[in-house]
Amino acid sequence: MHEYAITESILEIVQTEAVEAGARRVDEVKVVIGELSSFAESSIEFYFEELSRGTVAEGACLVFEKLEANAECCACGSGFRPRNAFYSCPACGSRLFELKRGKELYIDSIEVE
Amino acid sequence: MKIEVKKNILARNDTAAAENRERLSHQGVCMINLMASPGAGKTSVIMKAIESLSDRYAMAVIEGDIASEIDSLAIEAMNIPALQINTGGSCHLTASMISSALDHLDLDSLDLVIVENVGNLVCPAEFDLGETGRVMIASITEGHDKPHKYPTIFKEVDAILVNKIDLLPYCDFDMASFHQVVEGLNPDGAVIELSCKDGYGTDDWCGWIETAITEIKTRLSS
Repeated sequence: MHEYAITESILEIVQTEAVEAGARRVDEVKVVIGELSSFAESSIEFYFEELSRGTVAEGACLVFEKLEANAECCACGSGFRPRNAFYSCPACGSRLFELKRGKELYIDSIEVE
Repeated sequence: MKIEVKKNILARNDTAAAENRERLSHQGVCMINLMASPGAGKTSVIMKAIESLSDRYAMAVIEGDIASEIDSLAIEAMNIPALQINTGGSCHLTASMISSALDHLDLDSLDLVIVENVGNLVCPAEFDLGETGRVMIASITEGHDKPHKYPTIFKEVDAILVNKIDLLPYCDFDMASFHQVVEGLNPDGAVIELSCKDGYGTDDWCGWIETAITEIKTRLSS
């Protein structure tokens, strides 16, 4: 349900950008989500359709791009792709790692008319 | 026409959280964000901390609930300032809600603010409030499998309180398995077993809070 608040923020950013550009309509919103982020795309789409009604973003298509996770092991320094929260370093088995990428949530670009 | 945006969707919350953290650090106030499922014992755990610490530290509590003032009234009955935030349906507190609440507290005279987040193991973990410490409760009646099901919150807290330990003989809670999974997810996190019913482990919980308060004060003076 936290996607509701996220979608409100998406809409706010999109509206601001569209108004600044003097756009009549927003056709597409490209959202980048890190693969370890816990936001559900289908929920964001559902809320976006409802919240965007009557705004410049009504009818815009949401396009999601998944960003591959990347981590650095705190013990041996090797880099790897953690697939979930339970992951450990494939080189040395340490569970202590620094996540370099994978929890992003940002608007990359919008297509407007 | 394509417009490059490159804007973090959580930026507004993150900015407000950073401001809260700066404000608290500047005043030397420790703020704990307490998260758990509904009924895990958040208010009871706070009341235990008040019983043990309020004679030595100036405390306040911020209560987050979808509705009602039941929790803040219980805290006020212990002569501790309590602010109730009713989110009106929202499943988590946000940094701007906390910012408004902090405006109503006399931070100059406080050592500790405990924030009781909305009962939920998913959403609160995603929203930084600007706290100086994150604590969650996992209670015995919820079962030992919860770290498997809600790994994010178990991974991102500084301490995990295992509450209702007095009910262990009556529940099929596999403590060894729980500890093993939590250790794997969060090797640095403190795990404190306690019972608000009989007081077991509350010294450890309050000791953890005191260390957190001391760290903030030491950072301020150095």
